[in-house]
Amino acid sequence: MASRTAAQWQQPPAVPDTHYVSGNVYSDPQIFAEERDKIFGRTWTIAAHESELPNPFDFRTYDYANTPLVIVRGGDGRVRTFINACSHRGAKLVNEPGGNAKTFTCFYHFWSYNSEGACVGIPKSEAYDQVGLDPSKCGLREVRTEVRLGLVFVNLDDAAPGLDSFLSGALDTFQSVMGTGELEVFHFQRSVIRANWKAWVETNMDAYHTIMHVVLRKTQVDSTRVITTYPGGHLSTDGVKASYTNYKGWGDRSQAMALPGSAPDDLRVGNLFPNSAILIRGTVMRIDVLSPISPHETAVESRGIGIKGDSDANRLTRIKHHNQYWGPFSRNWPEDAYAAEACEKTFSTGAAKYQIIAREENMRGQDDGMMRVFYAEWSRRMGRPAHNPLNR
Amino acid sequence: MSAPFEDIRALIYRASLTLDREDWIGFLALCAADFRYLITAYSPELRKRMIWFDHDLESLKALLDMVPQHLRRHGTLLRHVSVGMIEPAGSPDCYTVTSTFQCLHTELDGTTRLYAVGRYIDTVTMSDGRVLFLGRDTQLETRDLGIGSHVPL
Repeated sequence: MASRTAAQWQQPPAVPDTHYVSGNVYSDPQIFAEERDKIFGRTWTIAAHESELPNPFDFRTYDYANTPLVIVRGGDGRVRTFINACSHRGAKLVNEPGGNAKTFTCFYHFWSYNSEGACVGIPKSEAYDQVGLDPSKCGLREVRTEVRLGLVFVNLDDAAPGLDSFLSGALDTFQSVMGTGELEVFHFQRSVIRANWKAWVETNMDAYHTIMHVVLRKTQVDSTRVITTYPGGHLSTDGVKASYTNYKGWGDRSQAMALPGSAPDDLRVGNLFPNSAILIRGTVMRIDVLSPISPHETAVESRGIGIKGDSDANRLTRIKHHNQYWGPFSRNWPEDAYAAEACEKTFSTGAAKYQIIAREENMRGQDDGMMRVFYAEWSRRMGRPAHNPLNR
Repeated sequence: MSAPFEDIRALIYRASLTLDREDWIGFLALCAADFRYLITAYSPELRKRMIWFDHDLESLKALLDMVPQHLRRHGTLLRHVSVGMIEPAGSPDCYTVTSTFQCLHTELDGTTRLYAVGRYIDTVTMSDGRVLFLGRDTQLETRDLGIGSHVPL
């Protein structure tokens, strides 16, 4: 029988429990609320790249899983992060996406804070003397912040294990690329897509879906991919080479343009659980960070990164390389976004029940093992198996 | 010789209608041999101008030739353009044209949403009695383009 009845459609795929995922992980509001607490509230995430804060008092704002943050480089050079809310009446303190300010002053009653989060100004403060309000206890809520390889990581959980313990060596493979010389963000894109956050994560882990992209079908052979796993659900892939001239209108990438420790035709990807990906295409790098808005909406932040101090001509070339695959007008990124939204249309309504992640190629080629590693960690942190998260 | 204002306005509007129809060959025919098409946006996050699309005539033609092979959002785009200023561009028979545009996307089910707004900064030139595009810088106000698309705006 080729098609299935309604009852048969409800049945899980006839593969091991670890090799399929229930559609409820994408759509259930209770699961989404729990993810915010058990995953996004407790894991380290990339909030910015250091090059976005090159000078003292430079700041960036970032809404992370609906928590507004402000990241600032202090006068002492240290990068700190705070909840972007005034201690007085809770108003959002900083609205600009980026800038430079020695103090942040709330628009509402002019309470002000310095770059270390201390409350340094309360107008007409004598009226608080009677109740003993102490300005030294009115500082901003600081969020743990660490910098590794130029990436600014934050963690909302003061009790979570440290960043190095969390990463478990997953960044080591990028040491030569990201730790040799100074890099710089030249592309920043925040796009809200109508899909659950995990649907986008899957686009960076699903090696099989390269068949969907004509650019990938033409420029790379996936059988050489080698997948490495790390504790905590992190992953990296290596071993894939790209032949750029196989796509109409594209030229080769020269060795002179290669990032440190890379060949110009390298394709390497790192996935940091739960929501970040580092993609390197020889001459240029992309970093994705996801911020869930609702079960059905996700803010995808994609950064394009090159070498700081590039000549104008080299920067332009690097931007062209970036824009071939990545960015809103590229030939790869929009196709991934299309795929994520297409899955959302069926899982959000319950029309689709399961997705199968059962390809086995010994963690090489187009093995689905990356998604299985991700969902094993997701299940561990959530205390719910991804194949049956509502225990039905 | 006075500036061919009406011909310039007609070129801008014709280009939009041609792009709306996805008549790529027709659009390329409106461009001079040394045409360059940019889409740019200012990032307040980086405090820098970003280049999101950068093609000369040859690479634009290659991109457009490949459109049918790509997966992309369904539906149609409709560009609403308003030509503002037409000014001499410095060299003879060249003009800078500043227009504003809204680009609307209509899904297959008929739902229409605003896709992007911005300005076209066009450089046009006279060639053999015709007005042609020498350059287009599509300066976006909209930076969140949802799933995006690689066809020109």
